[in-house]
Amino acid sequence: MEWHILSQQIVNGISLGSIYGLIAIGYTMVYGIIGMINFAHGDIYMVSAYITAIVFAVVTFLGVDAVALSLLITLVITMAITGLYGWYIERTVYRPLRTTNRLAPLITAIGVSLLLQNYVQISQGPNVQGVPSLIPGGFTIGTADEFFRIRYMDMIIVTVSIVAMSLLTFVIHKTSLGRQCRAVEQDRKMATILGINTGRIISTVFVIGSMMAAVAGELVTFNYGSFDFYIGFVLGIKAFSAAVLGGIGSLPGAMLGGLLLGVLESIFAGFVSSDYKDVFSFSMLVLVLVFKPSGLMGRPAVEKV
Amino acid sequence: MNKGFKKLFIAAALTTALSAPALAEEFIKIGLGAPITGGSAAFGKQLLLGAESAAEAINAKGGVNGKKIRIIQGDDACEPKQAVAVANRFVDQEKVDAVVGHFCSSSTIPASEIYDEANILNVTPASTNPRVTERDLTTLIRVCGRDDQQGEVDAKFIHENLKAKRIAVINDKDTYGVGLANATRDAAKQLGVEVVLEDGVTRGERDYNALVTKIKASDVDAVFFGGLYAEAGLLVRQMRQQGLTIPFVSDDGIADPAFVTAAGGIPFAEGTYMSFLKDPRGEPAAQEVMLKLKEKGSDAEGFTLYSYAAVEAIAAAMDANKGVKDGTVLADWIKNNDIDTVLGRKGWDEKGDPKTNDFIIYVWNKEGQYEPVQ
Amino acid sequence: MSHIPTSTGQDVALASVVPKSPAVDGASATRSSIDFKHSLKDAMVAGVLTMLVFSPITNFILQQYSFKVDWFRTPLFLNGISIGLLVAFVRFFVSVGIQTETGERFTQKYLTAQKGVEVEDEHADGMQRLKKILLWAAIAAGIFMALGLSGVIYLGTAAAVVLVILFIVIAMGVRIPKRRGMKHPWKGALPVLFLVGLVVPLVFFYFGIFGKSWANNLILAMIYVLLGLGLNIVVGLAGLLDLGFVAFYAVGAYFLALGAQYLDIGFWTALILAPVAAALCGGLLGFPVLKMHGDYLAIVTLGFGEIIRLVLVNWIDFTGGPNGAPAPSPTIFNLEFIRRAKGDAVPIHEFLGIPYSSDYKFIFIYLLLFIISMGVLRVFTQLRVMPIGRSWEALREDEIACRSLGINHVTVKLSAFMLGAFTGGIAGVFFATAQGFVSPMSFNFFESVLILSIVVLGGMGNAIGVIIAAFTLTLLPEFLRDFAGYRVLLFGLLMILMMIWRPNGLLRAKRPVFEREEVSV
Repeated sequence: MEWHILSQQIVNGISLGSIYGLIAIGYTMVYGIIGMINFAHGDIYMVSAYITAIVFAVVTFLGVDAVALSLLITLVITMAITGLYGWYIERTVYRPLRTTNRLAPLITAIGVSLLLQNYVQISQGPNVQGVPSLIPGGFTIGTADEFFRIRYMDMIIVTVSIVAMSLLTFVIHKTSLGRQCRAVEQDRKMATILGINTGRIISTVFVIGSMMAAVAGELVTFNYGSFDFYIGFVLGIKAFSAAVLGGIGSLPGAMLGGLLLGVLESIFAGFVSSDYKDVFSFSMLVLVLVFKPSGLMGRPAVEKV
Repeated sequence: MNKGFKKLFIAAALTTALSAPALAEEFIKIGLGAPITGGSAAFGKQLLLGAESAAEAINAKGGVNGKKIRIIQGDDACEPKQAVAVANRFVDQEKVDAVVGHFCSSSTIPASEIYDEANILNVTPASTNPRVTERDLTTLIRVCGRDDQQGEVDAKFIHENLKAKRIAVINDKDTYGVGLANATRDAAKQLGVEVVLEDGVTRGERDYNALVTKIKASDVDAVFFGGLYAEAGLLVRQMRQQGLTIPFVSDDGIADPAFVTAAGGIPFAEGTYMSFLKDPRGEPAAQEVMLKLKEKGSDAEGFTLYSYAAVEAIAAAMDANKGVKDGTVLADWIKNNDIDTVLGRKGWDEKGDPKTNDFIIYVWNKEGQYEPVQ
Repeated sequence: MSHIPTSTGQDVALASVVPKSPAVDGASATRSSIDFKHSLKDAMVAGVLTMLVFSPITNFILQQYSFKVDWFRTPLFLNGISIGLLVAFVRFFVSVGIQTETGERFTQKYLTAQKGVEVEDEHADGMQRLKKILLWAAIAAGIFMALGLSGVIYLGTAAAVVLVILFIVIAMGVRIPKRRGMKHPWKGALPVLFLVGLVVPLVFFYFGIFGKSWANNLILAMIYVLLGLGLNIVVGLAGLLDLGFVAFYAVGAYFLALGAQYLDIGFWTALILAPVAAALCGGLLGFPVLKMHGDYLAIVTLGFGEIIRLVLVNWIDFTGGPNGAPAPSPTIFNLEFIRRAKGDAVPIHEFLGIPYSSDYKFIFIYLLLFIISMGVLRVFTQLRVMPIGRSWEALREDEIACRSLGINHVTVKLSAFMLGAFTGGIAGVFFATAQGFVSPMSFNFFESVLILSIVVLGGMGNAIGVIIAAFTLTLLPEFLRDFAGYRVLLFGLLMILMMIWRPNGLLRAKRPVFEREEVSV
């Protein structure tokens, strides 16, 4: 096994895995707090990709030329609008269903997913859209024959993911808002009794999840350069698997699950078969869950009798 | 229980009331089976535009036997199940006189059996899988070429022009892509080219970096990709980003400026080779049509003009055989007569395939357009 | 300690409030002032937020690398600004309306409607109920036939709706289990209805108003009824969230297709063997997931479904890959449903001396499917009142209590999976033969989700609800075809609305009630 090929695959995997992780965070947080698998989350990520492109085009049109500045402004505005999407959907569609059985929000999420996909498809057209390639190039490590590349974009993805994760962990563990989130997650009734505005906290969690998805959306859009209205679907399933792999409800678990999934997938695709790589990913997921039923870092569910 | 009952009743009443048949007026109804929604919706748009433009032009000149053409669209989302439902609807409810469709070979194959049973003329503008015309159906005509012919041209180019000895053949795991990749692989092997790596990518996914690294590791001279523009663009971009400069050859599934967008810009798309039929847009017959399409905001990319030609062929057949709706008779007439279409003068063989299939190799240039390789 | 001052403070407040608003006239005086400012603020906030959400996507249209701004985009429902204005208006009127007296009465009624448990005695006035149902069904059928015959809607559509109504009425009767010693009102009606259900399609077909197109649609709908009933056992009764149910469906379908290709298996053999194969797969799935709960179970089953699909797509040599494989049509005693004879098989139309029509095959499959669905429905209804059905429901409610009572959770879970898979296998065989070929594209994750939606929408555990939901969700996209490009959008929207309106399903799950027989000593 040539070292440079293995290194390249690992680099690929880490880059891919960070994206999985960012989106998995959205799934894991929402599940942790209201026990609902938000199938529409992948499509929120898709919407954020479109909004990134639109905002970037507008920002460039308005004359901002510096790459870093335009990217930053785009990021902030995209996060805001995507967060608004998450809040809006939660408020109109999920909130009425909060008191019902577990599966009703699930099915509604499917409806929302369909709605978002088609709404974007009809509004923006079914064609592939793109953004210009902004940050090409990267480091080449190795000799002329045996080399592997770490692109600048790869580094940006990993850095931004780490920063976002750290910020989120800081918010969850050190701020009052984070404390309230954790309280609501652990025991909703008690939190309500103690005076926490549960409704608002749940909405906040949706917003945070959507903002993380927006970060992922922007990174991915500039990394791959193109997107269409269908990208949310496949990535959504993968990211959800990553969240479960890491233990649903656990933030570091989501990131770990994402990275693990990304790296293992890349290595399998690179060395065995790209055809069957999804079979491998799912089989691995099943194996891990068989031996560790609540995921890698999940807390085992305590059942009170 | 009654509440649910009432709800179903009202819902059904409302929606079925809206499926009322049109007022009886004499139209020639041509059904268009294409993916209007779903992942291939971009191609569906091309087909729809081409068909409707053709119908407009023909109606402006008086229609067919004095009757105007009406295009009725049916969305199959490139799914065989929906294609069958659309076909049944065209035949039983809309009672169409002919069908242009479908786009994906996996949809055309089951749908064409239904049209054949009902003896309705079926002209497909874009299904290139050889199996489409190899099934002894009597009402099926194909306006585009076949995968096996295309694969030969690709393999020849790879062997003679690119002088590649080892290649990688990648497909998108869908009927069209797999068919084309296999055709190219077989033709290449016959010419003595070694197919070192055969693999597939999943449509809808975007990260092919692992595969690109694998291609790098296998040390090939060229890559052939069978599939559509979205995946092709991503693949070539990620190849270039990882420092892989070997030539990238693909098929007519990337014949759309969206390929440049999918690749992330002209610098990445430049230099990609693709096989396609001789560009219809250069033909004199096409110029006027191009102007009309330009007014609608289209550059007549991809299969637009094929859909246009399909309608023209149907109209010509109906004109010549006044009042005949028998699909077999019309198809036979097409097979025995050359028709002037926007693609030039076309003739067909007994299987329903076009007689001349000049697939040639194009290259994407600095302006983001494709031009023939000299 | 801190309670006392506040309560007295409250008492004081209460005391001061009471004299001010005596009974009626004071009430109307204070309540008639509708807070317009509040409503206006509400409406504007809602409108602005809606605009912010919708307009970036609708009004800024991407064109490759640049964009185009279209503030006055038509159609209006695709314009974020107009949607925002609409939302603002509606919100304003609703907000104002709620504050009026009629508005308040309306909200009270609406809020109390959802709560509460209805206790309904199924067998009270059974005869009257039967008559009421039959009357409603006859009226509905009559209206649709009239609409169809007069040309307002397609005749085939009308015939299809009539058949759906007939099916539902029969299903309602089938699901009532017989009680010992009781005069069952449906007892006489049911066999008659069943025969009617067999004869009416033939009559429609004879008069040419029920052809292949709608037969195909109804076959597809009934396949989803079967799938819904199967998943109903796993999710609705046993409470095991299965997101990969489509795997068993695929096993059934591919068993027929590949069996015909490699082992020369015909339709009837496959109809018996494929469900068994699918049930075995169900058992195979059941073992590893015994310890998993809730949503871990969901993701594992999802993974299984995807693994099966991916293997079907990639193992090109065996399964035909994305091209799929052809599947044979059913035969009756070696008579085939084809136009021209191949080999020594005799086409059925030649045997009977009637002209060929491609509809025969579909009518036959429809009737066969009708009989089998009725059979499955009967069996499942019976199972529900048997110990095994009760163990499923007990498992769903509280697994630990179940186990402490001595119920073996392994057998219960496995039996649920296997029975569900069995039904999925049957459905798969019918799907393969009706379509004539199978391709992995028909067995993706979205199908699993659709089947799950049918079960949830129908009310988990309620067979009639599942049947109605199956028909609705399958036939609705067909009815909506006239909306062309907006079809799937409307479908998603309707799904959301249906779930919000009836989150517990269309019909509530009814537990079978047993009456105590009066025993005189």
